[in-house]
Amino acid sequence: MSSLTPTCDKSQALIALLMGGTFFFSTSAWAASCCGGGGGATLVLPKFFSSMHDISIGYEQYHGFWNKDGEHLDDPPGSDLNQFRVTPGYALRINPNWQASFILPYVWNDNKYAGLSSNTNGLGDATLGFWYENFDDIKCVYAVNSLEDLTPAAYFGASLTIPTGVSPYDDVGNSFDITGRGFYRLDANMLMDKTIFPWGLALSLSYGIYLERDVNQEYGNFIEPYKRQLGNRFSGSLAFSYSVTLEKLDTLTYTLTYANLKEDEASINGATDTTSGFETQSVSFALAYSTMAKDWIVRMSFNHLPTNDGLGSNFPATDTITVGVSYVIP
Amino acid sequence: MLFLRLLFFVLVLYLSACTDILDDINPSDSDRRGDFDATTIGYHPGETAADFASFDTLNQAFTMSVELAGSDAIVLYFTMWCPVCDSHMTHMRKSTIPYYPGVKFYFVDYVSGIVDVARASQLNNGYGTSNVLVDDVNHTVTNLYNATMGTTVVVDSNTIVQMNEDYKDGRKLQEVLEALP
Repeated sequence: MSSLTPTCDKSQALIALLMGGTFFFSTSAWAASCCGGGGGATLVLPKFFSSMHDISIGYEQYHGFWNKDGEHLDDPPGSDLNQFRVTPGYALRINPNWQASFILPYVWNDNKYAGLSSNTNGLGDATLGFWYENFDDIKCVYAVNSLEDLTPAAYFGASLTIPTGVSPYDDVGNSFDITGRGFYRLDANMLMDKTIFPWGLALSLSYGIYLERDVNQEYGNFIEPYKRQLGNRFSGSLAFSYSVTLEKLDTLTYTLTYANLKEDEASINGATDTTSGFETQSVSFALAYSTMAKDWIVRMSFNHLPTNDGLGSNFPATDTITVGVSYVIP
Repeated sequence: MLFLRLLFFVLVLYLSACTDILDDINPSDSDRRGDFDATTIGYHPGETAADFASFDTLNQAFTMSVELAGSDAIVLYFTMWCPVCDSHMTHMRKSTIPYYPGVKFYFVDYVSGIVDVARASQLNNGYGTSNVLVDDVNHTVTNLYNATMGTTVVVDSNTIVQMNEDYKDGRKLQEVLEALP
């Protein structure tokens, strides 16, 4: 069975891993200068493997923002806004079709304005994820000989974002300390990928609901308590990939991804907060290298939010470079 | 499993050492505002507002007590020209400012420190006709009012702080302005 050859197997595993890291649009883009973040991705453990250790290092640079009307505006003159993240994670196979993962980012905010500099750090929001793999064997094929060969590998999952980061509702001094959003969020996730070696196509969709919470302080000041709930969140992405088998059967996979993220307006005591909600789009390019034994996977990605008017709303524009290493245990 | 146990141990250690995070893990609805009155000068609602002097982006001197004379109140909104700030400021300009002609509204740029830079941000963000104050590099005004991004301060004509909290959806600001003495 050609579909079970190491090369094809690896290609599918790499795409799933890359999509797991990219389609949950990093909420860190809400971070650094204003709004918290540093979480939101999840891990996807390759089929037939028992566990995986993963660590990634991300550097995000800010390039202005879109206002509510979709107009892109520059950051203040003389400003340099950045966020660094180190995100360790672990994924564990529960049974042949179920897996769980946990990631916990650590975030450094490095912001410079003409009249102010700030350098803070702290935990980001953690994510606990579960995936159900709706397939029992590798779905990567070398050629399509029947309809069955077109069957994609499908993952269905759920994830819980845990507000371990520092949010505006903690006892913090100012907005530069923020590394998380302060809300629990439940996401329903789906990932489908089809690899007809060396080409691959993957689609991922996610819908998240924030849990309503009480707020009795903002930036360390106690206020009249109220209830706040962030808006529901939709994200989706589509990725194309191409894999190359190297001399020693190592694999190199190139992936180009388009992603969209939209969060509805929040509510305060049940009334809509019309100043909230956002939308954005991104394009990313990723390169992943996997050893023949598939035990080590090294990846690098560049994520870009195009700064044209109309491509975002109420959201900062950023470029992010991420380097990650996974160690997969059979 | 060793990794999981280690991760759990580190997490518990961190959380137990950092009560800040527990505010989000287990949010509270208890009202913990203190009792403040006009006998003290401070930034809490109920206290007498601290007077301050500054400059606006047209290099004109500003003194709060002077501007307050003859006004119903002064509203200060602290901005760092971010998406949240812009959303708040746009909302305030559209939904609040036109309806309170006796109140003076000021956006306080607390990140630029330099009048020219603040003016450039003001124009770039489309607030050329708004009143923008420039906090100095020592963040004097920001510190006086314990302010940060989105902080909205209302000082009434008796120099009493009526509000000092995040702008959010603007409803609280309108409630406070409606109830001005």
